[in-house]
Amino acid sequence: MKDIQEKNILFLGIGNYLMGDEGVGVALARKLETIPLPPNVEVLDGGTGGFHLMGPMEAYETVFMADATLDGLPAGTVRLIEPRFSKDFPRVMSTHEVGLRDVVEAMTLRGTLPKIYLYLVSVEEVQPMHIGLSEPVQAAADALVMRIASDIEAFSAAGVLA
Amino acid sequence: MSQRIVVDPVTRIEGHLRVEADIQNGKIVDAFSSGTMVRGIEKILKGRDPRDAWAFVGRVCGVCTSIHSLASVRTVEDALNITIPPNAELVRNLMFATLYMHDHVVHFYHLHALDWVDIVSALKADPKKTSEIAQSISNYPKSSPGYFSDLIKRLTKYVESGQLGIFANGYWGHSAYKLPPEVNLIGVAHYLEALEWQKEIVKIQAIFGGKNPHPNFLVGGMACSIGLDDVSSINAERLAHVEQLLKDAKEFITQVYIPDLLAIAPYYLDWGAIGGGLGNYLAYGDLPTNGYRDTSSYKFPPGAILNKDLSRVYEVNMREDGEIQEFINNSWYDYAGGNDKGLHPWKGETEIKYTGPQPPFEHLDTNKAYSFIKTPRWKGNAMEVGPLARVLVGYASGKEEYKEIVDSTLSKLGVPATALFSTLGRTAARGLESALMADWALDFYDELINNIRNGDTRMANMDMFNPEKWPAKAMGVGHTEAPRGALGHWIVIEDKKIANYQLVVPTTWNASPRDAAGKQSAYEAALMDTPVADSNQPVEILRTIHSFDPCLACAVHLYDETGDQVSKVQVL
Repeated sequence: MKDIQEKNILFLGIGNYLMGDEGVGVALARKLETIPLPPNVEVLDGGTGGFHLMGPMEAYETVFMADATLDGLPAGTVRLIEPRFSKDFPRVMSTHEVGLRDVVEAMTLRGTLPKIYLYLVSVEEVQPMHIGLSEPVQAAADALVMRIASDIEAFSAAGVLA
Repeated sequence: MSQRIVVDPVTRIEGHLRVEADIQNGKIVDAFSSGTMVRGIEKILKGRDPRDAWAFVGRVCGVCTSIHSLASVRTVEDALNITIPPNAELVRNLMFATLYMHDHVVHFYHLHALDWVDIVSALKADPKKTSEIAQSISNYPKSSPGYFSDLIKRLTKYVESGQLGIFANGYWGHSAYKLPPEVNLIGVAHYLEALEWQKEIVKIQAIFGGKNPHPNFLVGGMACSIGLDDVSSINAERLAHVEQLLKDAKEFITQVYIPDLLAIAPYYLDWGAIGGGLGNYLAYGDLPTNGYRDTSSYKFPPGAILNKDLSRVYEVNMREDGEIQEFINNSWYDYAGGNDKGLHPWKGETEIKYTGPQPPFEHLDTNKAYSFIKTPRWKGNAMEVGPLARVLVGYASGKEEYKEIVDSTLSKLGVPATALFSTLGRTAARGLESALMADWALDFYDELINNIRNGDTRMANMDMFNPEKWPAKAMGVGHTEAPRGALGHWIVIEDKKIANYQLVVPTTWNASPRDAAGKQSAYEAALMDTPVADSNQPVEILRTIHSFDPCLACAVHLYDETGDQVSKVQVL
């Protein structure tokens, strides 16, 4: 295990990779684990974890997250949002069991919510029990990996995302 | 004339559950439980390497991740006749105990407590009085008047901000809430303390499993190495950390969870006669202390109880064709050989055939198939699984530890043994087995340390890992007890690949639709005769359903950004 004391930025990819495009966040985490990032960055495949993720999220000052969303936009559309309150999080985060939204609300109540940057990747449908990303979502993920890496690098150097 | 009410989705559970109940004269006269989900992990596993199955099944759920992986490696080990080393068994037991303590505490405080604890009433509590009550029930140090008055200030600020957030889905002020403000405040205080505690205990999963929430397992043992002085292994420092976390867990369970349970229960003793349901209980057992194959060594003994008769525990054989069978008379599936007979999981099929109404719809047509959950039966009997089943099987098996803790709890609450067969009994059983688990976990830890000191650091048996040694065909069954009940995986291996893989999960037993004879499963039976004071706020339904700790996490359910449920489900 790495020493988390030195690390203050977490990349957290969440979703269920048994449900096709729903797993895009996990696919991004697995890709980011293989490329060089600043030493203060930890990458976590959050999978379908709910309350299990509260500890890891609270242990970092800044959390970059990626998740799928069914927001009606064309598949592969990427948006970056900076949720400050639990109500800013899209409901779609409830897809993963006792929702990450509940965890976010619990952290709000505790006053421990870290600074969060959330990349939302639009998906058009969820394919139950299917492994692998559709073509537009895969293309979006390929491009997004590089963008996240460079965003994290810029943030790590400047302490703010331009 | 009865009125039908629908609770959909049932909140504060894992996955998606719909309950429809007919109410007449303030009581439930009929109930239907529907898993509006598609599960098909079996399809994904077909044709894959059996040694990888644990990684896939670990993803079906966000809470039971490691328990599915455990069942999976045991299933493959059974098929290939692999015996794992004692240390691997102990590490599995420690991870199992960790999952339990985490899951039960999170369930009690974060998913179930708000059915009994009124958060809004808590704001009216007198901090001094609260402190006196808290100190009279426990030695837990956070109990001063200042602690509680600070908490009221924080909560008031939170509630006044208009973001009820995590407390948004409650029927606050409902006449069914009976606790005085001070006990409500203690409940809310420990809701928050439990949040803090739960994030620590799960670290044990990461220490032994390499990561969390999806720890690593291995067919043949565990994928961690022991080296007391090795920085990259399970070393002395990490083991000491585990010991500390286990001691903290015991403290939390004995000083917070159990006292709270005993403080809240007296206000709800009427629930000791509500929600009993089937009276049939099933446990596969777990926590081996002399190897997985020696079921007599299990801390959770296996067995079945019928008709609330605690004088007899029946033996359960998971391999026998006529014992465990899954029926689909009222489920959206199709069996190749006809839909009227039950299939043993080794012969199980997962062909989905949705015949329900097209959403949006008001009611399910419960005269036809009405769920994606199959209907499992043991020798034709509907069975309840979960903490109550385990505690009753342990009690009826004559195990001293169970006798002691059950009898002393009954006498503290001043209720007869029949009160066990109820919603309250189910919720209490979860607490009691948590208390047992806290002690057992420390025993497992001590034994592991002893083995290591004596020079045994074996963690895996890799003799049969190479598929070239496997027979052309092999069949296996693996069992465990998930926090919410008996879990079985069945595998058929042909030509070194998975030819069939079936899971019968706890919620399948409990939440399934009725069988061909019209016999209800556990949720439906438990809801019968439940009083419902206000059909617009059916908190009573939530109490009983939540007491089972539902987990339908293999569910497919999505919300759009406005919070409306997305009804488009792609059928395989």
